[in-house]
Amino acid sequence: MHDRRFVIPHQPVKGEEFNSSVPDFNRRTEVMQTERGYASIITSIQPLTQQERLFTLRILDPLERARFSFRPGQFLMLELPGYGDVPLSISSSSSNHEFLELCVRKAGHVTTALFRCSEGARVAIKGPFGSAFPMHEMTHNHVLLIAGGLGIAPLRAPLFWINEHRQHYLDVTLLYGTKEPAQLLFTPQLSEWEKNHNIQVHTIVERGGAGWKGKTGMITDLFKDMTIDREHTWAIVCGPPPMFKVVCSSLDRLGIPMNRMFVSLERRMHCGMGKCCRCMVGSTFTCVDGPVFDYWSIMNLKEAI
Amino acid sequence: MIYKVISKTEFNRFLDALVGNNTAFGPCRVESNIQGEAIYQFRPVTSAAEIALEYSVTASSAKHFFLPFREELSRFMFHGEEWEQLVACEADPIVLIGLRACDIAALNILDDVLLNGNFPSPYYLARRKNTFVIGIDHLPLVDCFCKSMNHHTVPTGFNLFCSDIGEEYYLSINSSKAFSFLKEFESREPGTRENRLLMERRNLIKKSFQTEIEVSGLPDILDIEFDSPVWEKWGAKCLNCGSCAMVCPTCYCYSVTESFACNQQGSSRQKTLYSCNLVDFAQVAGGHNFRPKNGDRLKYRYYHQHRGFAENANQQICVGCNRCGRTCLAGINPKDVINDLRMEKESCTTGDSSSPTSR
Amino acid sequence: MKQTLYTFEKLKIASFDFTCCEGCQLQLTNRESSLPDFLELLDIRTFREISDEHHQDYDIALIEGSISRSDEVERLRAIRKQAKVVIAFGTCACFGGINSLKNRFPPEVCSNEVYSGMAVETLPVRKVSDIVTVDLSIPGCPVTKEEVERIMVRLVTGSQIALPSYPVCVECKQQLNTCLFELGELCLGPITRGGCNAVCTTGKTPCLGCRGATEEINMAAFLELVRHRKFSPEECREKLGFYNAFEAFLGHET
Repeated sequence: MHDRRFVIPHQPVKGEEFNSSVPDFNRRTEVMQTERGYASIITSIQPLTQQERLFTLRILDPLERARFSFRPGQFLMLELPGYGDVPLSISSSSSNHEFLELCVRKAGHVTTALFRCSEGARVAIKGPFGSAFPMHEMTHNHVLLIAGGLGIAPLRAPLFWINEHRQHYLDVTLLYGTKEPAQLLFTPQLSEWEKNHNIQVHTIVERGGAGWKGKTGMITDLFKDMTIDREHTWAIVCGPPPMFKVVCSSLDRLGIPMNRMFVSLERRMHCGMGKCCRCMVGSTFTCVDGPVFDYWSIMNLKEAI
Repeated sequence: MIYKVISKTEFNRFLDALVGNNTAFGPCRVESNIQGEAIYQFRPVTSAAEIALEYSVTASSAKHFFLPFREELSRFMFHGEEWEQLVACEADPIVLIGLRACDIAALNILDDVLLNGNFPSPYYLARRKNTFVIGIDHLPLVDCFCKSMNHHTVPTGFNLFCSDIGEEYYLSINSSKAFSFLKEFESREPGTRENRLLMERRNLIKKSFQTEIEVSGLPDILDIEFDSPVWEKWGAKCLNCGSCAMVCPTCYCYSVTESFACNQQGSSRQKTLYSCNLVDFAQVAGGHNFRPKNGDRLKYRYYHQHRGFAENANQQICVGCNRCGRTCLAGINPKDVINDLRMEKESCTTGDSSSPTSR
Repeated sequence: MKQTLYTFEKLKIASFDFTCCEGCQLQLTNRESSLPDFLELLDIRTFREISDEHHQDYDIALIEGSISRSDEVERLRAIRKQAKVVIAFGTCACFGGINSLKNRFPPEVCSNEVYSGMAVETLPVRKVSDIVTVDLSIPGCPVTKEEVERIMVRLVTGSQIALPSYPVCVECKQQLNTCLFELGELCLGPITRGGCNAVCTTGKTPCLGCRGATEEINMAAFLELVRHRKFSPEECREKLGFYNAFEAFLGHET
């Protein structure tokens, strides 16, 4: 028989107060909720290439949908129940509170399973996570966006942002390179932006092949014909890791300060919340301190690029 | 904090009451190694007599009471086209007896990492809140270096801390629960004599350290020496077995796997404590490994332990218990690695004398 | 019927035994609580231990045992032709297993010892992958039912299939065991693939490496450990050779 005087009472974790300096769309203060995903439905799947598809998602609960907001450059964890989760950069406009677009490449086992899903399937999303591109600080300046391959996916969010606030930015240029013409994504949309939003778009491919009338070469070849206002240009670079070093050092030579160049890193993540340590780069975590870093920080981080 | 003095026999009665009425764990002698030295672990106990209060050190830390080696994070239940996600993170109360100052310091560090960040961990929180921690001081072992890490004393993070002042324990009472439990037992206010005995005890502990590691400036040394051959040298010895991280009181890195139930009507997300020394820690989809070499992985463990990450304000998370050094079959230990990195040996021999061999 | 989140098909599976004790196949009937669910995953086409029906239209073949006769070689090749996925099932199939001890003696000595002079055809023991391409290995002497169940569920659902890449030490430490080296034993835990939940070492039996070498083992460091702890090279070689699971690393010793 227990002596009740010495029994330690159970203490629930509900209702715990945590201070957070950031807006609470992530339910951080509801400590119980950080592991719970928003139930979402895949409303459309648009094939882009053999390996890439654009998934459109809608959060089912209207309250949660209204509360979910993100900044360009942030990512979310998409979880396919039973298969696991995968970090994906958000590819849609941050002002679009109805739908979220995710550009997915079939790479690992979760994305492979995701490609087997059809429209109407229910997935869970957690987030948004991580740092964002400093869109406000870039106002009244030129913006140079450089995408290599699937790097166009995380650049769509800042491009949507710029289009929606076009008058606040000076010249906006997108340099976009892939290996082959067939890998160029969103080309109709890019020409529409070129026409209606005064975005200069330059594409280049490594291997043109028959029928390709555009430029052929490496993405850095596009710098040759450019004049860059080094005092007033901000750059955003997204692409495969080997590209960062080449492009950023070229931009450095062109005179853009390192703290005005931004890159988005990718690492394997198991939590998205700075806990599992899988995505550590130097002394930081890609998930909470990144994925967006300025080039100066990257230079200071070991193993970053 | 409230301070009391209690006789050892009365303290044992207090432990009996606590242990008898709650799920409790304490250091127990499990066996002896081939040299005849006792090996201790935290084990379930049902009476004070089972607790080896005079123990030296447990081979494994008390981390797993707060961060289980394996735990379920959430569970999906499928209902037709729909699913629901269940997140269960409540914990039952336990009593944990006999933690050392460095073990409690480790909990304070884990609090910092897991509760004070942007995403407090409900799983850790539930366990931390429901664990009644009783600390007890001890004289350092030959290889303890917690003094170098400034964790040989601990000001907070426990319910009750006992300092051995001879016939009695000097108690630091840090929770109302501990205070009210103790009201049922005979204790008294410490007087000048007991305060003096406590200071003497603390001084004795402080003076008894035989292992010291110079850790000042280590964060930037780790950055500067990122490509040092020291890592390759120690990496060549490393078995990649992950034992160091398992026994460490602060290594918290983990892995998440999700799997379907056998009947495919649901799935479970499991968290497993992992180690940066294990081969596939930094491997990504498609097979690329950011740290393919032993030395790189070993370095990252030291980097995390002794440089600290942005998440906990770049504080070192090593507490100096040397459990990793003791468990390592390859003889890798923080003292030797760090001294090697700081080129301590060279600086000793090249100090004043121009001819070190003449000494 | 109501639409479900995912639809899966049963695995058309067949199980075959070669030179072995058939203990691994027997493991399939363990974990009784989930046995009905486990059997629901499978459309068993051939499995002589539990069914007298034999159908040849299987996709997945479990191969238990090592290969030690020429008719076994032919049978295995025929299975490979039919099966989309060949699974080396158990330590004998994956590495040769205990049967490989035979390879240390001349064949006639072996058959004389066992069959006392009868004319019995016998070949040196080989692992399955020496003869046909193996798609998936499930090592263990015997295999762990829990792991087999997990892998079968993953085959059905098309999830990622991977054996743990960490050594036995990880799980041994998680059980709060005292390291067997501390108790004076020579244990292959540091270099053997985990996933067995350290069942032997928890029972104070040193690991003999039935699950084979884990990823990227540091054999030089392990041999240094063996030397440092004063174990003889012979004892070490004996342990490494027990299941023939460290064949590829034995060259390091000299």
